Amino acid sequence: MYRIRFHGRGGQGMKTASRVLGTAFFQQGFQVQDAPRYGAERRGAPIFAYVRASRTAINERGVIRHPDLVAIADDSLVSSPAAGVLQGLGPGTTMLINSHDTPEVWRHRLNLDATILIVPVGEEVTDRADLPFAGMVCAAAAARLVGVIGREALAAAIREELGAHGNALADRNIETALHTYDLMQDHAGAVTEGTEISAENYASPQWIDLPLENAGRAAPSIHAAATSTLLKTGLWRTMRPEIDYTHCNRCWWVCSTFCPDSAIRVNEAGLPEIDYDHCKGCLICVAKCPPHAIEAIPEHLAQAREEKAHAAKTPDR
Amino acid sequence: MAKTPIRRMKDLPSSHLFGSGTPMCAGCGGLESLHQIYEILGPRTVFVNAAGCMTLLAIYPFTPFRGSWLYTAMASAPAGAQGIRDALDILLEQQRMEPAEDLNVVVLTGDGSANGMGLSATSAAMERNLDFLYICYDNEGYGNTGQQFSAATPHGARTATSTGPHGFSGNKKDLFSIWAAHKPAYVATAIGAEPVDLARKIEAAKQLKGPRLIITLAPCPPGWDFDPRDAADIGKLAVKTGIWPLKEYVDGKVVHSKIPHPRLPVEEYLQTQGRFSHLFHPRRDEGLLAEIQDSVDRYWNGITE
Amino acid sequence: MRPKLLTGNAAAAWGARLARVDYVPAFPITPQTEIIETLGRWIEGAEMPGRMVTLESEHSMITAAGAAASTGVRVFSATSSQGLLYGMEMIYTVAGWRAPFVLVNVSRGLASPITLEPDHNDVLAARDSGFLQIHCATCQEVLDSVIMAYRIAEDPRVRLPVIVNLDGFYLSFTREPVDIPEPDSVADFLPAYDPESTRFRASSPNSQAVAVLGGAPYSYFRYESHLASLNALGVHTEVAEAFAQQFGRRYEAVEAYRCEDAEIIFLMIGSFATKAKAAVDGLRNAGESVGLARPRLLRPLPTDELARILGGKQAVAVIDQNISMGMGGVLHAELASTLYGKANAPPVLTSFIGGLGGRDISPEEFYEIAAITREAVKSGVTPPPRLLYTEQEYREVQKLQAIAHAERYEVGAE
Repeated sequence: MYRIRFHGRGGQGMKTASRVLGTAFFQQGFQVQDAPRYGAERRGAPIFAYVRASRTAINERGVIRHPDLVAIADDSLVSSPAAGVLQGLGPGTTMLINSHDTPEVWRHRLNLDATILIVPVGEEVTDRADLPFAGMVCAAAAARLVGVIGREALAAAIREELGAHGNALADRNIETALHTYDLMQDHAGAVTEGTEISAENYASPQWIDLPLENAGRAAPSIHAAATSTLLKTGLWRTMRPEIDYTHCNRCWWVCSTFCPDSAIRVNEAGLPEIDYDHCKGCLICVAKCPPHAIEAIPEHLAQAREEKAHAAKTPDR
Repeated sequence: MAKTPIRRMKDLPSSHLFGSGTPMCAGCGGLESLHQIYEILGPRTVFVNAAGCMTLLAIYPFTPFRGSWLYTAMASAPAGAQGIRDALDILLEQQRMEPAEDLNVVVLTGDGSANGMGLSATSAAMERNLDFLYICYDNEGYGNTGQQFSAATPHGARTATSTGPHGFSGNKKDLFSIWAAHKPAYVATAIGAEPVDLARKIEAAKQLKGPRLIITLAPCPPGWDFDPRDAADIGKLAVKTGIWPLKEYVDGKVVHSKIPHPRLPVEEYLQTQGRFSHLFHPRRDEGLLAEIQDSVDRYWNGITE
Repeated sequence: MRPKLLTGNAAAAWGARLARVDYVPAFPITPQTEIIETLGRWIEGAEMPGRMVTLESEHSMITAAGAAASTGVRVFSATSSQGLLYGMEMIYTVAGWRAPFVLVNVSRGLASPITLEPDHNDVLAARDSGFLQIHCATCQEVLDSVIMAYRIAEDPRVRLPVIVNLDGFYLSFTREPVDIPEPDSVADFLPAYDPESTRFRASSPNSQAVAVLGGAPYSYFRYESHLASLNALGVHTEVAEAFAQQFGRRYEAVEAYRCEDAEIIFLMIGSFATKAKAAVDGLRNAGESVGLARPRLLRPLPTDELARILGGKQAVAVIDQNISMGMGGVLHAELASTLYGKANAPPVLTSFIGGLGGRDISPEEFYEIAAITREAVKSGVTPPPRLLYTEQEYREVQKLQAIAHAERYEVGAE
């Protein structure tokens, strides 16, 4: 059985990617199961979907624990534990990353046993939540990597999944997908069907008997304040608001009042400061700032700039 | 008020369509109005009932209805009406049923359901513009369980759960206004003790489409503690003292169908009922009596017809 | 028609569409909402006839469903979890109206704590209501069961509403290949609904669902519903046979997978049972004689069929995706009462509770269940019921507790 997981951000078409690959497998005569993981399908937030495909009936269900292929539409998610990209990866897993960086850079970064392949990011965009065809590129590359899906089946699958949105959109996606499919030809068949867990030789599940605990502890109550701040929703951000303090007129805190996420606070000098750990990048502050002192910058560019600055500083230490 | 052929007592039908033999209490003010209503609506009706006194109208195998009846539950009679109306409409549209087989869908509940757990379903039925008639018989308490106070209990009334020296501390919910705020086709108050007024209102409601809702005050001998023979007189007094205004909401306006003139002091109504006896015995509770009279006066002072 | 990839929710909607339902009272709730959205889209786009009305609650929705069914139209509705519970008064009430309709429940765990993912405590709360219950394991089975459910429910020998159950997420949002039958073929199998005397018409008075006084008539009416439910077993057999003739897919009241020569049987309902199936294959590859019994009908419970399948086995391992507080697994208790006193009843009946709130059950866990059960057969000692819960999971919960109980944690404290 093939077990494939897609990771990306809400808005990058992960559910469509899983459906296209599922339908393509199905076109090739496979039994298929595909599903998105629901729960936090917010724009920009990490999301994943998965596909199982087999020549025989599929009885396994639920989230794929040990994937044969993990396809990542947005490389900024790879190293974030909250995105769960690296979960269950083993020596048999192939990682496919939609990235500008080379496999060597990623191998160095991740120090992983998995095979790493790169599908080059086609067209760069300002807002990565709008990254065109990010999911489709991953689906097409995955289709080629498994080696059992033909060009025609891939194109037909895309037409089936996107046809309802009009032929023009389907055509554009097919063009992109086939281009990616061809790019990956050297790796055709690189991903093979995974094996089943043996009943003769398996790791015991390590069950325990749950202890009885008192109701104060055993009820779903939170006896602490504002613990949600531990959740770094800054991860969702694809566009970063940046304040140009030379233009900020220290107004009565327009940006901070309109920020829905309590992510802009005003310091003692009366200047607003953005909490990038939590700013989701909605850009209401950019829209509302009276002197237009807040600018929206693509998050990945802002991060690249920070990394460069950090690298430049390090030797001084 | 819409024109109807009923102008005086002589015009009232007297075919006694509604079967006798029900287990309602002797002198039941709710039944007094229901049988009058049934004369006009007739048997081409399906009554959809919520839990209350009148759930006991039909006890297997006895029913007073010549038409149909469905008991649902306390909270959802209007939803039952929705299901029946929609099903009948589907059958008519698809010509799976003769038009002659169609029925008027009538919700019948007490004040407990209407003011409390049934209010959400009623509000939603109005919002969906359901074509139905809603009859609420209001005996101002949970009568079927022994007259505990409900949201329709008047201020100061003694009930099984307001037994203190000042009776019920809350105020009767203004269900008429709550209903009217939904802008349905028709809302009215009525009472069995004013049969011509009641009949004209049922006739008026019958002519209209959409949600039509009528509250009839239902003097309740055991719940209000009076001799059953006085039920009709007490009903009349409720109108004459102005504590039960007879009115209609139609075409966006509220019109009073009977303005008491002269308006009798409200204590003439109160003293007929044991549930208010603590206002008079062992000594008059002048404060509470004045409070009740004042609220009636304020109501009528605000009416400029 | 060539099979299509459909989610369990879409399969349920297709079942309703092919059954030519007239009326769909609706109320949104996760993970069911896609069903009513799909039907709503089809009805608005005139792809199917029928009328959909969104009620203000499930309580009203089920009332409207029962009332419309009592008026003589074919009714479909769907809900889940808290919605089913909110409508529970009416679930019991309308079952007694003996007006057939089909309600799809997309299983989801119950509050508290509130959650989105599946287990079976929601649908089991309706166990004693009078609704028949069909539990599905695949998306195909969802579509087929909805169609079959109408034929069973409307059969004059039954006349009870039916709940068709599918698991949230694992089926509701998961696409699988589904063969969508031809409408004409479904029309052959499922004729138009004939309500007989169960309808409201001007020409024939009908006082429905009236009160009774006294235990004798009450007991009579209640027990008649029970008898009708039991009678649905035979009707199901007939309907399943007719379905197999028409569509080539056969559904037994209890699916028995590799049971014939098995020594140990897993017993499960719902979509997680297919995981047990995969584990059975794994165990067979390792030389273990294990099978799976999956009751598809839970009400009526096919007790004779279960006793036949399980008779003479060494042990049954019941895996309950539910919990009855203070007792344990519901199916375990039901199976014990099914088998007790039977001549060749399996001597060992182990109880496992797993999959609460969508918690996965891994292949290793099924293997372990088989191992523990085999050990019980050897020793003759049945182990106490076991929650499938790992040390790692408990450690994770303890980490959450550390956050939930942090003292004087302050906003922005750094």
